[in-house]
Amino acid sequence: MDLNETPEEEAFRAEARAWLEANVPAQPLPSFDTERGFQLHREWEAKLYGAGWSAVSWPVEYGGRGADYLEWLIFEEEYWRVGAPGRVNQNGIFLLGPTIMEVGTQEQKTRFLPAMASSAEVWAQAWSEPEAGSDMASIRSAGRLSDDATEWILDGQKIWASRAVWADWCFGIFRTDPESIRHKGLTFILVPLDAPGVIVRPIVQLDGDTGFAEIFFDDVHVPIENTLGGVGQGWSVAMATAGFERGVSLRSPARFHVAVERLIDLWRKIGDPNDDAMRDAVTDLWMQAEGYRLHTYLTVTKLLDGGRVGSESSLNKIFWSEMDVRAHELAMQLLGPDGERMDGPYEQWVDGFLFSLSGPIYAGTNEIQRNIIADRVLNLPRG
Amino acid sequence: MKFSFTNDQHEFATGLRTLLEREFTASDLRVVWESGTGNDAALWKRLAEMGVLSMMLPTADGGLGGDFVDSVLLVEELGRAGVPGPVLETMTVGALALRGTQWAAGIADGSVAVTAALMGERYVPHASSCVVLLIADGDVVRAIENPELSQSTIEGIDGGRRLSALAGAGTGTEAGDGSEAEAEAEAGDGSEAGDGSGTGTRGVVLAADRDHLVDAGALAASAYLLGLSSRMLAIAGDYARDRRQFGQPIGSFQAVKHLMADALLKVEFARPAVYRAAWSHANGVETVGRDVSMAKALASDAAQKAARSALQVHGAIGYTWECDLQLFMKKAWALIPAWGSASYHRRRVADAVLGPR
Repeated sequence: MDLNETPEEEAFRAEARAWLEANVPAQPLPSFDTERGFQLHREWEAKLYGAGWSAVSWPVEYGGRGADYLEWLIFEEEYWRVGAPGRVNQNGIFLLGPTIMEVGTQEQKTRFLPAMASSAEVWAQAWSEPEAGSDMASIRSAGRLSDDATEWILDGQKIWASRAVWADWCFGIFRTDPESIRHKGLTFILVPLDAPGVIVRPIVQLDGDTGFAEIFFDDVHVPIENTLGGVGQGWSVAMATAGFERGVSLRSPARFHVAVERLIDLWRKIGDPNDDAMRDAVTDLWMQAEGYRLHTYLTVTKLLDGGRVGSESSLNKIFWSEMDVRAHELAMQLLGPDGERMDGPYEQWVDGFLFSLSGPIYAGTNEIQRNIIADRVLNLPRG
Repeated sequence: MKFSFTNDQHEFATGLRTLLEREFTASDLRVVWESGTGNDAALWKRLAEMGVLSMMLPTADGGLGGDFVDSVLLVEELGRAGVPGPVLETMTVGALALRGTQWAAGIADGSVAVTAALMGERYVPHASSCVVLLIADGDVVRAIENPELSQSTIEGIDGGRRLSALAGAGTGTEAGDGSEAEAEAEAGDGSEAGDGSGTGTRGVVLAADRDHLVDAGALAASAYLLGLSSRMLAIAGDYARDRRQFGQPIGSFQAVKHLMADALLKVEFARPAVYRAAWSHANGVETVGRDVSMAKALASDAAQKAARSALQVHGAIGYTWECDLQLFMKKAWALIPAWGSASYHRRRVADAVLGPR
């Protein structure tokens, strides 16, 4: 065990820091869930890509930097430390990308990964359906083969599709065996959102932006080559993708460390120094952020040693999402009446508070995560 | 940066776990409770032979020359088995305090058990089964051989952890802040006292730093609590798979699943904090006090939650003397306040992170 950085790691950190400090936009970009903000974030991603920083842990041949997970964590620490923009293509770079690398064909890797790394193509996720939320295995959106077996013909509806309003592509699972039930007979399919028959209807979120949407599929034709993993293997491919989402890749510890550092700054600025309860609460948050960072380092070292992350990634998802809510609840408490204002100097905290509340819901509700932990980590009987 | 243990470290811990699963079951722990001794002499001998007790002693003292990173997984295994007696005190605080002294060889061969009251404790755990007691006298740490104990019995909650008061003025640890101790220190030659003024001024002055030892104790208690927490959740898991109500195992109900998942969450996020603190302690890094306090606060909270959840999963059977769960819960309830409560340590983290009040 050695928790000091090696000279190589220090050099990597210095290189990332230097580039980010020189290139991060001076003013925060508008939300990527607005039309203008989306465009500006896409341009930012192109800039990252140009310097080899958009997908640091990907192989160089697909537009990455070939960094290992530890270097990726270092990059993330530097990225959030300087307050760089949110990642508009995270559904692609952090979720779908690793899945394509794991189960995709060589043609798919070449076709999709570089365009993903540069954000020439931005991806939306399309998991849920109106009747398949937490119960994702009951999805009904259907795919049937064309007569010449060269195309999927898709019909159905997805909902809560993040980034779908302005994204170029989406991924999701479709029932390709009409006789099948539950987890069987599903296929993971990649769909261009400009295909004829696709209709995207934006949904205004709690924060007033259109971060997610409904997607309707009406006789949509996509080539059979857009199947990711085998026909009928959709559930296991989706689980691999969701594993990345809940595991190390979606929410790196640096984000929360920076959020808690900001909370501490806020507490210093406007907190009552004699309020011991608030002092303890802020300390608890710091310990949680630090605990999450250490937990991630433990996991990443395990991955580097050839281990794998299984269902225990559900623990991560509960931990970071509840920590994020708690941090913002405390900030709102500190702000008092200013926490009611949607403009002004503390706007970022109010936006952050609203956004944090989505964490325990998306990527599988925390109740579903607790079921997964109970069933697969604690080996309790299935209900 | 490498946050993991070596194969040797893992294998040693696995070996200890196997030994304890085979030779020290919950029934054996119950026998210790019923014997009233608070310790198991045969097991102590096995731990000495295996090198567990001497892991942190220098090789010059007949030890294995390891540090806290080498021993943290071992302490966790001892906790999983609920090993009674002054084991975490002897192998960590004792080994650090008594290295290079006449007692060091005794730690290695199992003849010298060590306990400590370095934080002004009113009751000293394990004193009746120890050869050496470590006390604080201001910042000075003293070793007292065969301390004289008060005759009055103190009944503790954990049958694997006998409590005593010292003869004379309480435990003698009042001297921790004491001018009284300094005034009388002149008289102490390290052998006997018997002036009835308390033991704070007696014993041999050691080179060890008090804060370093207190951190070691808090850290060892944290690692032990991790092991205890895992054991309590394992016992609860077995029960939830076995016990049927409404025609199915109770572990299939979400209310039970979520109770246990939340407890596991606390335990799994305390774990890396404990391992990191072991590294900080072993390497004397600047933030060691903060890191140990974070570990103790999180491990204490996790054990509290694990005990409470495990009891609730059991229902009424968990509230019986007969149920083995109590052996582990009560050890947890004894160690949670020991070496500084979660609240004490949370304040210490606050001072380090936010600055002193």
